[in-house]
Amino acid sequence: MIPFVAVVSLRDHESRTFRLWVPLFLIWLLLLPLAVFLSPFMFIACLACRVNPLRGVAVIWQILNALADTNVEVEHRSAGLSFHIL
Amino acid sequence: MNEHRRQILQMLSEGKISADEAERLIAAMEAPPAFTTLSDPASSGAGKPRPKYLRVVVDSEEDGGHEGPTKVNVRVPMQLLRAGVRLAGLIPAPALRRANFALQEQGVPIDLTQIKPENLEELVEHLNDLTVDVDQKDANTKVKVRVYCE
Repeated sequence: MIPFVAVVSLRDHESRTFRLWVPLFLIWLLLLPLAVFLSPFMFIACLACRVNPLRGVAVIWQILNALADTNVEVEHRSAGLSFHIL
Repeated sequence: MNEHRRQILQMLSEGKISADEAERLIAAMEAPPAFTTLSDPASSGAGKPRPKYLRVVVDSEEDGGHEGPTKVNVRVPMQLLRAGVRLAGLIPAPALRRANFALQEQGVPIDLTQIKPENLEELVEHLNDLTVDVDQKDANTKVKVRVYCE
């Protein structure tokens, strides 16, 4: 299943933590009309590059599905940033 | 006589290979395989759980302590690696040739056109056994990099 939420956490030098929940499902909803609009162009581009368009769509879908559980944390001194896709 | 042996003997009779080479080929063919395919669960550690994540951990510390420690912790699902590898398999040949040229300019003698999607899948599978530890100590800094699967 594609991820629906990402969490961005920021911690400053005074150990105050700001946590931002990013609703990815809204981004997917916004991108959907754009993807539909761009699909004929993508189809032509795939044919020009001799890439199977269905395979391309399948791979992009697999990547979106696999994004869940990705986690990146960076800490410097007492400050830190973390990004977690749920 | 199996097909491979027949081919080797035919190449020998046609003078394409020498007798020594034919002997080596036949010996290699008869030798037990050094590794087995990934589809063989018995050889790939059936009891070993399949790792789910690739971890990259970086710890950097300055001896003076002015800057404080820097830590980077990245956890990437193996599924994402596999999907990325499949995406790389879609790269058209002209783009691969350009990438080859750029790699060779940087002194990396890798021919990307020879890498097939199934090879890349195998590569990701073999990351399971990968652990890279790098320790660097300078006069002022200590850096430790660890790449592993879990």
